[in-house]
Amino acid sequence: MTPERKKAMQHINIGCQLQPALHMPQHAPFPDLIDNAHFRAYTRQVHDVGGEPDVPIEWEEKEEEVWEHNTFITCEVLAWRGVWNAEERRRRQNVDVGQTQYLGLSYYGRWLLTAARILVDKQYITNSELSDKMHEVKKRYE
Amino acid sequence: MAEKHKAAPMVDEISDFEILEIAVRELAIEKGLFTAEDHQLWSEYMETVGPLPAARLVAKAWLDPEFKKLAVTDGVKASLEVGINWITDMPSHFGTPSDYCNLRVMEDTPTLKHVVVCTLCSCYPRPILGQSPEWYRTPNYRRRIVRWPRQVLSEFGLALPEEVEVRVEDSNQKSRFIVLPVRPEGTEGWSEDQLAEIVTRDCLIGVAVPKPGKTANDKRPVHPAINPVDH
Repeated sequence: MTPERKKAMQHINIGCQLQPALHMPQHAPFPDLIDNAHFRAYTRQVHDVGGEPDVPIEWEEKEEEVWEHNTFITCEVLAWRGVWNAEERRRRQNVDVGQTQYLGLSYYGRWLLTAARILVDKQYITNSELSDKMHEVKKRYE
Repeated sequence: MAEKHKAAPMVDEISDFEILEIAVRELAIEKGLFTAEDHQLWSEYMETVGPLPAARLVAKAWLDPEFKKLAVTDGVKASLEVGINWITDMPSHFGTPSDYCNLRVMEDTPTLKHVVVCTLCSCYPRPILGQSPEWYRTPNYRRRIVRWPRQVLSEFGLALPEEVEVRVEDSNQKSRFIVLPVRPEGTEGWSEDQLAEIVTRDCLIGVAVPKPGKTANDKRPVHPAINPVDH
C-alpha cells in the first residue's frame, strides 16, 4: 500500500466511524485534543462516500413515482428560470441536509426538501404559505 | 408497462412526499417563478431522452475509425452525429441547468475496462443516456465500486481476468462519462443498427460488456412505485 493510499484509507476509516458524542462531560473539546486526522475527518462532507466499507446488496431497478418525476422537473425548471444554480443545488441536496437525512431519505426525497427550502430561504414564500398550501393540498384528497 | 400498473392509490393514501411536491410546484407557479408550460415542456423533453443515442455513438465508433477518434477527443461534438445537441436540445437552449456540458467517451481495450460512478452524488450523462438506474444512485455502489471494482463488477455478472486493468471514472459537476466497450467477436459485417442493439445502458455505464444476441440489461428486481409515472 502506497503512503498516499494508506493516508486515504485512514481518513475514510476515521470519517465513517465518527459519531455525535452525546454523553461527553464536555462538548466542544479543547482544540489540542483534536488531532489532524480527526480534524480532517470532521471536515469531510457526508456525501463523500467513495471508499467507505459496505457489504454487497442486491442491485435493483426502480419504477419512478409521479412525485419523483415532478420533483426532478421542478428542480430543473427552477434552475432554468434562475431561482438557483448548479452549485447551490448540489450543496443543498448533498451537503446541507446533514448525515441523518442524507442516508435516511430517498434520492428524490432529498431533492424535494431542498426545493421547498430554497423557496423559503430566498423568501419567495414563507413557511406559513408552505404549510397552508400543504394543508390545502391534503384537503383535496380527503 | 401497463399490466404492471397498480390501481390509483386510495385517496386517503396520498403520501407527504406527494403533498409537498404538489405544494412546492403550485407555489412556484403562483409566485411566477416558472409557468405550468415550462414544467410541461421540460417533462416532455425528458420523455425523449434515453440510452439509444449513446448506443448509436458506440456503434458508429466501431464502424468508423475517424468517428471513433472524434468520439474519444470531443464527445459533445460526436454527440451531434447521433442527434444530441448538448446545448440546444433542452427547452432552456443553454444546455442543462445542472450546468454540465462535457461528455467524455472512455475507450476500453482488451486489457483495459472502464466503469463509471459518481461518488459525490450521482452525476450521469442524462442528455445522451436518459435517467440513471436506481442502483447507480445508491451509496452502496458509490462506496464500493471505487475500492473493490472487480468484486462489484462480478456482482453484475462481469468477471474480469487479472490481466485486464479496471479503471473507475468518477464523474463530476462539469464532466460526464460513457464507456466505449470493445466490439465483441461474432459481430463481423453487422450494420450500425444491429450493433447499436447490443450496446445496453449497462454496457455504457461499464458494468456489462456487449454480447451478440444480448439486447437488454440483466434482469434485476424492480422496486414498484405506488403511483408510477405512466411511460
